[in-house]
Amino acid sequence: MNIKKIVIAFLITLLSFSYAIAKDVKITVWAGGTNEADYYRMEAIKMAADILTREMAIQGEEINITVEGKRDFGGWGEFKQAVTLAAEDGSAPNIVVTSHLDIAPWSQAGYIVPVEDYLDMDAWPLNDIYDNLMEIAAYNGIQYGLPQDAESRPFFFWKEYLKGIGYSDSDIDALPSKVASGDYTLANVLEDAKKAVSMGLVEEGYGFYPRVSNGPDYAQFYQSFGGELMDSASGKLLLDKASMQEFYQFFADAVAAGVTKKNHIGTDWGQWYNEVANGKAAFWHGGTWHYARYTGKEGNDDFFGTIQFTLIPAGNDRGRANTITHPLVYLVTNQNDEDLQDIASQLVKIASEPRINSLHAIESAHLGISKQQSNVGLYANDQWAAEATEVLLGSANAQPNHLQYGVFSEAMWAGLESVWTGSKSAADAVNDLESELSSKLGDDLLVR
Amino acid sequence: MNRINWFGFIFISPVLIMVLLFFLTPVVMTAFFSFTNMSTSTGIKGGEYLINQETIKEIKKYNIQNDTIEKLENAGYSINEEGLKIISEKYKESLSNEIKSLYFGEKFSNRKDLERALKKLKKNKIKKTRDRKEIAEIFKESIINERFDSKSIFEENLIKLEIDQNDRDVIIKESYTGWSWTNNNFKLIYSLPSSYKFAFYTLIYVSFTLTFNVVFGLFLAISTFYLPSKTASTFRTIWFLPRILPPVLYVLMWKWFTWDTGFISQMSTYFGASPKNWMMDSPVHAWTVIVLINGFVGASFGMILFSSAIKAIPSSMLYASEVDGANRWQQIWNIIIPQLRWPIMFTTAYQTLSLLTSFEYILLATNGGPGRSTEVWALAAYHTALQNYAGNLQYGLGATYALVLVIIGIIASLFYLKFFNFKDLVTKPRIEG
Repeated sequence: MNIKKIVIAFLITLLSFSYAIAKDVKITVWAGGTNEADYYRMEAIKMAADILTREMAIQGEEINITVEGKRDFGGWGEFKQAVTLAAEDGSAPNIVVTSHLDIAPWSQAGYIVPVEDYLDMDAWPLNDIYDNLMEIAAYNGIQYGLPQDAESRPFFFWKEYLKGIGYSDSDIDALPSKVASGDYTLANVLEDAKKAVSMGLVEEGYGFYPRVSNGPDYAQFYQSFGGELMDSASGKLLLDKASMQEFYQFFADAVAAGVTKKNHIGTDWGQWYNEVANGKAAFWHGGTWHYARYTGKEGNDDFFGTIQFTLIPAGNDRGRANTITHPLVYLVTNQNDEDLQDIASQLVKIASEPRINSLHAIESAHLGISKQQSNVGLYANDQWAAEATEVLLGSANAQPNHLQYGVFSEAMWAGLESVWTGSKSAADAVNDLESELSSKLGDDLLVR
Repeated sequence: MNRINWFGFIFISPVLIMVLLFFLTPVVMTAFFSFTNMSTSTGIKGGEYLINQETIKEIKKYNIQNDTIEKLENAGYSINEEGLKIISEKYKESLSNEIKSLYFGEKFSNRKDLERALKKLKKNKIKKTRDRKEIAEIFKESIINERFDSKSIFEENLIKLEIDQNDRDVIIKESYTGWSWTNNNFKLIYSLPSSYKFAFYTLIYVSFTLTFNVVFGLFLAISTFYLPSKTASTFRTIWFLPRILPPVLYVLMWKWFTWDTGFISQMSTYFGASPKNWMMDSPVHAWTVIVLINGFVGASFGMILFSSAIKAIPSSMLYASEVDGANRWQQIWNIIIPQLRWPIMFTTAYQTLSLLTSFEYILLATNGGPGRSTEVWALAAYHTALQNYAGNLQYGLGATYALVLVIIGIIASLFYLKFFNFKDLVTKPRIEG
């Protein structure tokens, strides 16, 4: 009898003791659209876990956090399927790194919880993050996520070909400001690309060599021709028919002039990167993170000597030179466990420290998220980060966090595809787009 | 007799289970989804009740009292006895007293302001952000941005705000985040011009691929029939490769073959032609390649069926015809083809149905391009339900596309059963001499 009691007592003490020793917490991070160079998206959370463990130990709370990262998802589509299905199933990762556009649908579905429920937004380091980036990570006035990185999408020129068609070095240096002021437009792009092709500097179809799949980049060209994605007064998505048609027509013209390939869409990404990084194309557009790829994997040793970059030029008088920033965000998922959600929020907060974020920014050639990063040596000394921040980030805007933006974006792309490949005229495509969007979006759409 | 029936049932039960699991269940689920507005944002498992800025915008469209909107919009946080009492019970009395002494009776329009106020506590510093937020929530009067998982609790909260019955119903309807029943998907598909295009492309896809399958399968079967048996089986194995290769690999090889960096382009540059993407250059190119990609896979199926059927033709008939002086062509036309009537019909029926719903090779090869000109119906269903760059997947609408295919498939099967008189086909072997 006594022995039994002792054994039970022993077991109970053992259990409670082991519970008190250290609480084991496993945090999983899934990162979408993440290449090799972006490993700090997960690594930063591991570093944050280390810091948080120490902080909590000092406060007398023993906790043992293991962080597991995953980034191999095929493409964005597979990643989003994986996250939503896991969330439905109740096995979502604790932290996801994804596009800010996912905030609207995922918050509505209850997959994610607002980080502002766990974090003091007035305190370091969150009070140092750029306001416009914070806003992009919010929806309906609630701070759901924290920006993970910033980027923007510049227009690139291969310097040698600019010289080949008669630009002087000073002309090339002045290009960014000429683009910004609207003196150099998409019409000039087309004209110069034609020269590059006709003078035999580049092969046909390589004068202007755009992105090969749908993405935020194409909304930039819509903006170049005066389009706006959302009507700020009513919060409705906006279809500006005239701008849309001119935007479509620009690509049709580029194909007709032989500077862009008719069947360009769907080109292999690997091939595309290799070609633009090594001077096969005269003009193209991409993202700030391309710097890492061009200078790394694709072996361009002299980026600044060979490539000039600017905003996306304006298309007409109504439009403006612009660039879209499409920051990825850290989101904390709903785990029905306040403690876990709290820990995950603390981790993304710590990962947003300027020093930690700079590791990601420089390693992957993204831009920083907070002001103090310009005081972090690593960031400040990097020519690309410094120049790109200066030329681009000031004029950057983001796509709207709107529930129906996905439908809008897909339909806009489908229209562009049909004009690009010559199966429709720009006017027809815009009319079809209007009827498609009107029936799909109904009251959420404003046609101008 | 009874016992035999019973045995029969046992023998067929694995098939029944398969049919139930892999055919009926998906069909029922598809039908179910297609009558909903389900999407990523509504979730699959149901929803909650949530009023946010978006909901208020929606509510304003109804004929609703201004008073109600104000009650929803302007309610904030207020430091009152009720809340202080909870604090002293749940936390410490001294905390409650300090809050009372500093802020009693004050109102805060949003949580941030109240949190900032709470940070100023001296004696009872709240260390954890999370605790501060929890304490702030206790003084909340507004229900904006709060999620309620049950309708009754949500309604109680609306009643507390003194919102009247009519307005309550509107608010409840608009603030539900889950999916609801609707037949809008069908109306939408009917009204979208793109639907008719998808239907047309599907027609092109099925008819051309089917023709290729049957004709080429027949050609392979007959031509290998006249070869020595060893050579024939080697050829048959080669032609069987497209079917046994993993689709991703098979399509990748086609890409190496047709793209502007691929084999055809490389060869044609020797003759001075500039390289071009033979798969994506124009809709005609894309369709040709797609029909070939699918056709070679399907042809091997026809080849196997037809070959074995030809073998079943009594060789005496062929010998007799040769004695009569018939040439090969006459043999094929007058003996082989007529005997293959049933296998051909079967292949046609079977392939139509499987082609209607198959899109994997198109997805891998052109992904519906160029310019959506190879977007067949099944692929459109996939894209709508499972592919969206900006995240909001439309499960309901996608399922509706799929359901239309299921219905067409069932009608076509019934038609084929009737037209080919399948009963006759299965009861009595036709090719027996």
